[in-house]
Amino acid sequence: MLAARLSVPQALSYTAVCLLLLCVASLLLGAGDIGILPSLQALLGGSDEDARFIVFELRWVRTELALLVGLALGAAGVLLQAVTRNPLAEPGLLGVSAGASFAVVLAINLGASAASLHLGVAMLGSLVGCVLVLLVTRMRGVGDDPVRLVLAGAAFSSMLGALSSLLLLWDQRTADEMRFWVIGALAGRPLDTLDWSLPGLLGGLLMALLVVRPLAALALGERVASGLGHHPQLTRLGTLLAVAILVGTATAAAGPIAFIGLIVPYIARRLVGSDIRRTLGLSMLLGPCVLLLADVISRLLVRPYELPVGVVTAFVGAPILIAVVRNHRLPTL
Amino acid sequence: MSIRSHLQRTAAAITTSLLLALPLHASERTLDSAYGPVKISGTAQRVVALGDSALDAALSLGIQPVGTLASRGGDDVPDYLKTTAGKITLVGSVREPNLEAILRLQPDLVLASSDLSRDLYAKLSLMAPTVVPTGNSFQDWRKTYLTYAQALGKQEEGQQRLAEIDKRSAELRHRLPQGQAVSVVRWNPQGPVIMSSHLFVGQLLNDLGLRANELAAAQAQKPHSDVLSLENLSRINADWIFLATLNPDGRKALEDARKQPAFTRLSAVVDGHVVTVDGQIWSSSSGYLAAQQVLDDVEKALLD
Repeated sequence: MLAARLSVPQALSYTAVCLLLLCVASLLLGAGDIGILPSLQALLGGSDEDARFIVFELRWVRTELALLVGLALGAAGVLLQAVTRNPLAEPGLLGVSAGASFAVVLAINLGASAASLHLGVAMLGSLVGCVLVLLVTRMRGVGDDPVRLVLAGAAFSSMLGALSSLLLLWDQRTADEMRFWVIGALAGRPLDTLDWSLPGLLGGLLMALLVVRPLAALALGERVASGLGHHPQLTRLGTLLAVAILVGTATAAAGPIAFIGLIVPYIARRLVGSDIRRTLGLSMLLGPCVLLLADVISRLLVRPYELPVGVVTAFVGAPILIAVVRNHRLPTL
Repeated sequence: MSIRSHLQRTAAAITTSLLLALPLHASERTLDSAYGPVKISGTAQRVVALGDSALDAALSLGIQPVGTLASRGGDDVPDYLKTTAGKITLVGSVREPNLEAILRLQPDLVLASSDLSRDLYAKLSLMAPTVVPTGNSFQDWRKTYLTYAQALGKQEEGQQRLAEIDKRSAELRHRLPQGQAVSVVRWNPQGPVIMSSHLFVGQLLNDLGLRANELAAAQAQKPHSDVLSLENLSRINADWIFLATLNPDGRKALEDARKQPAFTRLSAVVDGHVVTVDGQIWSSSSGYLAAQQVLDDVEKALLD
């Protein structure tokens, strides 16, 4: 177990400051011609019509979305790592996000189009993904080996990816609409996205709060958890349900964004140690930080064009994945 | 007899025999193609048209190909050619022509698109003379069209068709307001892409005296831009925006676009100057029939 380097309040306050700064950066920086100074003026009540529009209608909305999605993915990552006792577990890597987006692609292919329907379908898809993860972890020789679990997840993800591409091949006309469900983005989401995804986020977080104590007990072993009066199996199911709701919400809102659920718990563990009671809260602040940073980068790299944010998170996440795997003292959670 | 006069007589004899033989082999011709000269004789009976432009050319010259490819982004012949093409065998998609299916049709001429790979060319030309037009889709579309016409032995008809288009655009040009800026855009919810103005449609619009939007003109190397940031959406603005959609229901694409406030505040949108058009014509085909359709669309949008 990594030694805690910061107290929880310290870590929380540092992260909160970072988050605030990143929010401001997200409002001031973009791929457009409206630079930092005009943006700042608009933010402080300037009257330039274009700058006001870009800051309040475009950047503000995607900043809010990044907060919501980052929070959901950060929390989901910590929960999934705790329940699989695997520092590599990540909704994107284990196929939970792929399950969600495949479900949505399938639904669109069958004729669905309402955004609110996407939410339910995505949650259902990620739940199926979660259940598969649970089944795999019960398999002898796979569940207790972090790398093998990720390999199983990668196989599952690529299978779902192949199925999604198959659907795209059948119906290439909707390819533009579907591309979003292959790699996520925060830009240009319908304005009501926040309205319908907020309840999903709150529901998922509520569920997470219910399981956090039994989950911490489970980290000490099944017998200890049972001795403390918790149901190990019920705890696992509850946790996976929370993960499914969180990932489903995030995917319906912004498409599949990989690696946030890996990067965030990794940083959180380094800051405050591996106890989920310490990392969960912190990861809810770290998630939005990482996603906002990735989003700001995605706007600045190829101006006047933009990269989907999922591309940037993959570039940041892949090295961390390798770092964790290469670390010989792979922490068992 | 001097050597010189001997040579003269021989030359005369050869010329005479050539002249006599000419009517018999009148349709024997050699075409310049991207992968070297191609010999074609007679009028092809079983043409396989690989690509929308090749199909467009053949149909516009009154030739019914026996096989063609599913168009880009679709799973069938492009909509605008469907009735004219009638029953036609699909031999794969633009991305992946199916060689076995082509062989089964026993073609005597293959019209390919200019981006056919050398590898595929080598295999196809074992089955039948294969014509790959020189250049690329950025060159004058008439040149590609004429290459196909020549391959089909219909050079004159081809030139007539092109003259018809030129006449019609010259006539339309007189009636259109001059110097209007136009852009052709494909809508993605995360941000649109703008089509290069140097392709087929851009050339036609230019002939009509319409001015390409700045960003479209800057796409000199690529068929379309990358996904534009919504913050820069004003760069797709023009006096008229043609929204090319691969969806059969163009209205839905427009509705989607209208959900985005960055789109609705463009002056073209405020003025009601957004026209949805068939992306299969406007962003991926070329030819006589496509040109007529583009001119129809422009006439209807700007004059009605």
